[in-house]
Amino acid sequence: MSNINTLSRDYSWCDPQFSYPVSTPVGPGLSGVIASASKVGRVDSNNGTIWYRGIKLSELVKQYSFEDVAYLLITGRTPSESEQYLDFRNSLYASRNIPEGVIRIVENLDPRIHPTRMLRTGVSAMGCFELSRTDDLAGTKNWKEYRFIGQLAGITELVSCHRMGRKYETSHSNSSIAEGLLTKIQERVPLDEDITLLNLLLVLYADHGLDAPTFTSMIVGSCHADPYYNIVAALSALRGPLLGQAGEIVVEQVCALKSAKEARNWVSSTVKSGERIAGFGHRMYDFPDPRAEILREEFGKCCDRHNKQVLYEIAQTVEREAELLLNPKGIYINVNFYGALIFHILGAEADLIPCLFMIGRMAGLVARVKEYVNGGRLFRPLSTYTGVPPRKIEMQEVR
Amino acid sequence: MKDHSEIQPNQTYTLGLEHLVAGTTEICKIDGTLGKLWYRGYSIEDIVDNLSFEEVAWLILDGELPRPPELSRWRDEISSWRNAPSEAIAVLHNLPDSAHPLALFRTTMTVASCYMPTPEDLSKEAQWRRPARILSWASMLAAASIRHLKKLPPLPPRQDLSFAEHFLWQSLGAVPDAEDVRAFEVSLLVQAEHELHAAAFASLVVASTGADLGGAVLAGMGALSGKLHGGANQEAFQNITEFKEVREAENWANERLVKKYRFPGFGHRVYKTHDPRAKVLEPFAESILKRHGLARIWDNYCAVKNCVEKQLGDKGIFANVDAVTGMIYHALGLPIEAFPIPFCLAISTGWMAHALEYIPDGKLIEPGAIYVGNR
Repeated sequence: MSNINTLSRDYSWCDPQFSYPVSTPVGPGLSGVIASASKVGRVDSNNGTIWYRGIKLSELVKQYSFEDVAYLLITGRTPSESEQYLDFRNSLYASRNIPEGVIRIVENLDPRIHPTRMLRTGVSAMGCFELSRTDDLAGTKNWKEYRFIGQLAGITELVSCHRMGRKYETSHSNSSIAEGLLTKIQERVPLDEDITLLNLLLVLYADHGLDAPTFTSMIVGSCHADPYYNIVAALSALRGPLLGQAGEIVVEQVCALKSAKEARNWVSSTVKSGERIAGFGHRMYDFPDPRAEILREEFGKCCDRHNKQVLYEIAQTVEREAELLLNPKGIYINVNFYGALIFHILGAEADLIPCLFMIGRMAGLVARVKEYVNGGRLFRPLSTYTGVPPRKIEMQEVR
Repeated sequence: MKDHSEIQPNQTYTLGLEHLVAGTTEICKIDGTLGKLWYRGYSIEDIVDNLSFEEVAWLILDGELPRPPELSRWRDEISSWRNAPSEAIAVLHNLPDSAHPLALFRTTMTVASCYMPTPEDLSKEAQWRRPARILSWASMLAAASIRHLKKLPPLPPRQDLSFAEHFLWQSLGAVPDAEDVRAFEVSLLVQAEHELHAAAFASLVVASTGADLGGAVLAGMGALSGKLHGGANQEAFQNITEFKEVREAENWANERLVKKYRFPGFGHRVYKTHDPRAKVLEPFAESILKRHGLARIWDNYCAVKNCVEKQLGDKGIFANVDAVTGMIYHALGLPIEAFPIPFCLAISTGWMAHALEYIPDGKLIEPGAIYVGNR
């Protein structure tokens, strides 16, 4: 049995020879615990390198579309113009077709309801149409990964249209996931550069270790659950302020600032008061998030394209000031800072951001759940009892 | 569960996080070797002899038995939430009848969560106000989903019934006699909490993100819907219901034993002896089956149980609670697809208690994955 100091700074979280049982330190929030052995993705928090299926993310972003990356993460094969790949992509696109019943259900919801909740309802309803009670609900058999990604994209389009009071129509079956989404969000034919940029964001968000939705989904999957119950559970883990909401808060915080000067003052007073600046700090990195580095440059170009030079100035100022004040505390910029601002410039409402994030993350999530469920075991840790010792019920205290 | 406040230098565990101690809890203690279960220090046998579901729910959530004025307020609170949002019920009209009741139920729950008061208030105080509402809404929506199977409209809520009676009234259209209700209520009591089982763990991960309690409950239900978990009572029941005589049941069991097949409803990760929940529930199952002229099912169960335990008892495999609950639900007239639902309703109490215990000082639960692919 191996004894590994997973919490040591230079532990690499990479060992092709790894096997359970294992002995590790266990920190708050189960940090340091090895919950799965995976071939899907890898994050090296020593040098900030991220790999999907052994390929560096910094290389992937140059040549792969989100659909390519989804295929890579799920199948482990590099995309090519093979029949298999084309089938995958066509099925992924086609799965954006949402049944009438689901459309009615989402359109009946009060448009002021938070999009993540609408999305969750849409996914749950989708499951009622996709699987019947005579199906074997044991999960793995119905675990058609590509469908979940396409369905999530389709329902997000529907939610976005409903929120804006627009008529929803299914995206053209030839349009990419990014193009379909942008067409709905912007209500026009989007610029090619914008499509490429949204595509990049989806790729960057596609996989990153065991975040809460992914881990929740693995636990639920390990019970051989109905796959739609599984996605509903994952979406429930998305909503907390520690996670999906971070992007929304970035937009709220940064867009409230009117000038670079105001930005400087806001950062210093916020840091002084001990409050959080959204988009900064990540458990895995004690240097700038490598994905943020990629996005910074893209953000600049995107601001130019959309005449958002003031916002650019403000965001840069926030980043510089926050770096100055937070880096000494070990807090650095993360992917959500520029990620959320780009979603915003592309036309997404702040509260739609968690849904968009989730479409990207679905690729890694379904790949990891599938991998765990094939050969994994029901997740069932223990807790130590520290409560009152055994006692008897006294009848007079009861009634 | 409470989070570890400090780093523990060395813990040994294996796949599925088996043997990992994820934290501490004051809610529940299980002794898997002796086959004992306590909620907040009270043994499950003592609880079944003395308490109602409302009392047990309070005990699990609060830590102490309710004093009379507390209990009366708590009962009122629970019955005051019996009107789930009409939008949640209406959604059933747009869903196909062919869907599994658990999927229908899930969808109604997601809609209800869209209409809960102050949904974005994630403060600890707001979280504490939610359990009564979640319990009552879930019960009503589950009942509506069960009736939807038979294309029947939901029944209006009533204020004069206990939690157990009310669920049965809304699902079946009549309140069964007191003995039948008690058998059902006892099934809720023994399933109201079970430490950090997979569903509780899923629910806790969601709660650790700061999401609302309803989201945590939905995640728990997701895990529970699984075949290896809550869905097991359905499968276990299906296996014993078909035999016309005991001989047939024995032959079936022995044949499977030879082939080393799994027996749904037998064996448990934690109990390596008799499951105390199954033990306290068995007399209720036997009695309700016999009262409803279903003694044959009880005999089949005993036959299968004897065969399996005789062969596999040495390996720690005994009948668990899932083997027994289905018999009670069948006798009451609940459809087989609905068997996991009462388990869901009862155990959401435990999930909420664990979430509320965790939230004040707990960190986001985020273990790691080790990369084992090509470098």
